[in-house]
Amino acid sequence: MSHDSALAIQAWALPVVKPLSELNDSELVGVAARGDREAFDVLVERHRRTVYQVCYRFVNNHEDASDLAQDAFVRAWKGLKNFKGHSALSTWLYRIAVNVCLNRVSARTPAMEPIDSTDHVADLRIEGAQHAMIREERAAAVRKAIASLPDKQRATLILRTYHDMSHQQIADVLGSSVGAVKANFFHALNNLKKILGTEP
Amino acid sequence: MNHLTPDELIDAVESMLAPGRQAHLATCEVCQRELAGLSSVLNDAKQASVPEPSPLFWPHFSERVHTAIDQDAAPGGNWPAWMRWQVLAPLGVVAMIILGLLIAVPKQDPADQSLALQAPEALQAPENWAMVTELVGSIDLDTASAAGVIEPGVAERAVLHLTAEEQQELTRLLKAELQRAKS
Repeated sequence: MSHDSALAIQAWALPVVKPLSELNDSELVGVAARGDREAFDVLVERHRRTVYQVCYRFVNNHEDASDLAQDAFVRAWKGLKNFKGHSALSTWLYRIAVNVCLNRVSARTPAMEPIDSTDHVADLRIEGAQHAMIREERAAAVRKAIASLPDKQRATLILRTYHDMSHQQIADVLGSSVGAVKANFFHALNNLKKILGTEP
Repeated sequence: MNHLTPDELIDAVESMLAPGRQAHLATCEVCQRELAGLSSVLNDAKQASVPEPSPLFWPHFSERVHTAIDQDAAPGGNWPAWMRWQVLAPLGVVAMIILGLLIAVPKQDPADQSLALQAPEALQAPENWAMVTELVGSIDLDTASAAGVIEPGVAERAVLHLTAEEQQELTRLLKAELQRAKS
């Protein structure tokens, strides 16, 4: 029995004496799995940003990303009793988010935010305005290029680059082999290089 | 010279290339260029952060999740769309009508069936058979056929189904009848 699953089992038996915000993820999962909505609210609060970011990388726009992230959390709530604690909760949530995104994205072409979006230039006060603008334009171009990659390549690139998941973990999430993950990562980078090389 | 495979290039990008292949990479300009290109685009990707939503977004998002779970948990929330009462109520009415019809339509009385089975036995009684013979005795074949009591050709078909002994007996009776008519 893994350490995580042992904690999860303990959490079932433990009386909740600490505030929910002080419980770790495994303990919160145990409490939430008994139907405690407040415990799940705390989990949402802890992981909403990263789940949203996974979704955003897939669709490259805020509206769809927030819808997908919401859907991922609803599915997580419904499947909470199936979470055995074999992996970190964040990994499990990524898996759900990626599956939600793959299902949704394959059903329709992702909408894109304009490359010259200037909504997110918080660094303007720190860096020179011109430098920050160029950097933001480049980031927007990269995000757009990533969102245009084939599904598996995109998922692999996102999980490996931004969420530091191992090849094996990504293989588990995508239901493929480590070799396939490496191949997808290679093709993702190659395609990204081509797209960014041809676009201004 | 074997250049690095895609797997090995990914290992090299992640600084995990096997030492044996590292020696090749150190001397191969093609692989070095390939590696530099992949590393550069990966670096670009790492720097492309997700735009941070408004701080007001996060509490609103949590609220949305909470509400969505509430709605999902509402009575009937997990039932398929076709199993809602708007669909099931008319189906129930149709089922009730069919059930009512099955109950209301009269079935064949079992007593009738027993009578039908008993009829041949009843006719075996001599006095009953005599009564039938008396009733139909005056009706010839053409009259019976015209009245619809027997179908045309039924006598010929009946003869074809007689056994050899029955056909001999029929022949004997017909000859006797002809003799009686001549005399």
